[in-house]
Amino acid sequence: MDRLETVRSLLSDETVRSISRRYFISNGFDGTLTSIGISVGAYLSGVTEGITVFSIGLGAAVGLGTSGVWSVWEIERAEKQAELLRIERAMLVDLDGTAVEERQTGARKINAVASGIGPLIGIILPLLPFLAGDVVSPFEATLLSVGVGVAILFCFGAYLGSISKQHWIVAGVRMGLAGIVVAVLNLFLPG
Amino acid sequence: MTPPIRRLVLDVLKPSDPDILEVTAVVADCSAVDSVNAVLVETDREVQTLKMTVAGGDLDAEEIEATIQDAGGSVHSIDQVICGDRVVEQSPTPQDR
Repeated sequence: MDRLETVRSLLSDETVRSISRRYFISNGFDGTLTSIGISVGAYLSGVTEGITVFSIGLGAAVGLGTSGVWSVWEIERAEKQAELLRIERAMLVDLDGTAVEERQTGARKINAVASGIGPLIGIILPLLPFLAGDVVSPFEATLLSVGVGVAILFCFGAYLGSISKQHWIVAGVRMGLAGIVVAVLNLFLPG
Repeated sequence: MTPPIRRLVLDVLKPSDPDILEVTAVVADCSAVDSVNAVLVETDREVQTLKMTVAGGDLDAEEIEATIQDAGGSVHSIDQVICGDRVVEQSPTPQDR
């Protein structure tokens, strides 16, 4: 089985998809709210250069992205090792080097990648308006940034709503609201 | 020269994942295997027991067992072997009830 086919087979596994989805959305949510916080905080602090705001955001993206990959890599190592031990106890055989172990390792990689991509999307997309410094003012870039962030959160919520047979608009609005709350809370921060 | 093995019936224990489709497919992919019939005998939370009937022209029992092990399963016993130039079914005897 070549690598592409292995990845396709793993992605068709509902357990792998479900765990990856949770990490992706959870860390994407963290990243998006962080990004909204950065953009509003930067505007309120008087940072006028869009590239500076974007650079700060990139730093946060590197931090949260690394955190997402690293933590999930270690969490899933422990979880999957425990699962392997349970199966080995039930079967009374050593499963090292078998397809079961290889599959778990592959699933762990997919989980970690999904976990790392979430915050990258969540942070970078909302900060893109700050790169259009010639076209939009800092205030407009901040508003656009919050808007993109809320839209991403809405998409996360709508997606979760669609897979769980909830009303996708209601689920999307519930997630999107968090972005507005973070933006408003930033207005009341000292300084 | 060893006479060819035409059929093997195996008692296989395997984890719930990979599923019966995948395990059957990898065994069917072994050399000289024409067809595989896998029946779920028992299922537990973590493991499943299969009765696997493998048919072919000149089966390699060791290769099949190794393939099952690579897939995460283990062969508990070989319950039937048909070996020779042609397939012979069991003959009924008065002791069979």
